[in-house]
Amino acid sequence: MMFYEDVNEGYEFPVLKKEPITRVQLVRFAGASGDFHPLHLVEEVAEKAGMKILAHGMLVMGMLSHGVTSWVSRKNIKKLQVRFSKMTFPGETIQIVGKVLEKKANNIVLCEVQAKNIEGEVKVAGVFEATLPSRKL
Amino acid sequence: MSNVKDLIGLELEPYSMAVEKGKIKELALALGDDNPIYYDLEAAKKEGYDGIPIPPTFLQVIDLWGGLGSAEKVEKLKFNLVRVLHGQQAYEYLGDIVAGDVLSVTSKVVAAETKSGSTGVMEFVSLENQYQNQRGELVAITRSTLVHRL
Repeated sequence: MMFYEDVNEGYEFPVLKKEPITRVQLVRFAGASGDFHPLHLVEEVAEKAGMKILAHGMLVMGMLSHGVTSWVSRKNIKKLQVRFSKMTFPGETIQIVGKVLEKKANNIVLCEVQAKNIEGEVKVAGVFEATLPSRKL
Repeated sequence: MSNVKDLIGLELEPYSMAVEKGKIKELALALGDDNPIYYDLEAAKKEGYDGIPIPPTFLQVIDLWGGLGSAEKVEKLKFNLVRVLHGQQAYEYLGDIVAGDVLSVTSKVVAAETKSGSTGVMEFVSLENQYQNQRGELVAITRSTLVHRL
């Protein structure tokens, strides 16, 4: 458990490293989310658009939020917003990094979070706000 | 040529869907998220929930299974599906959402603009969704920005 009093601005959360993304995972995510966009699933459609099969942006954001909830309790997350900056492809390994940007009033922390591949390319980046429990009751 | 700004204020058909624990588990598995609160009621209760909570990005499931599919939504905005990218996504969580809740969703276009950059002309459209539970409480607001490469 992480307390408000124990974190300082600039504190870096432990990195969460995910398993490499597989094609089967894209199929699985399509069914779970309901996003059956053919660019994630059908080779021919991707090729015709001059691309390769790419991962759903929301799959990577889901991994990013897994990172966030590994740092702070799910219940304490108030806001999460991201920008999708680079495409992610099957075979890539995503890791989630984050740090505290600002300690606000009422035990709220504003934090940065990024999903990057192991080469360090940032795929999805944003900020979140969470309340942390206090040592003072 | 129609102006993308004309989309501002467009309201999509409201929709409603129950939060199902099977879908919660399915999404958590697809994400490789092993947090026990998504699988086990007792673990969820220990974290202060009355039921199994949703992962932070689960509202997409409500949108796509309860409302228009992604292809239909893109068609409604008159975009070419293979030229659409998800630009930004924001969530604001105002209350707990757990399995068994029924969410009613309203969705409208709150911003739209055309921008030209080094990679060509792009249209940006932002949709804001509001989620109310079966007790009429506003429990979440989301905003998603789609990018259409012309």
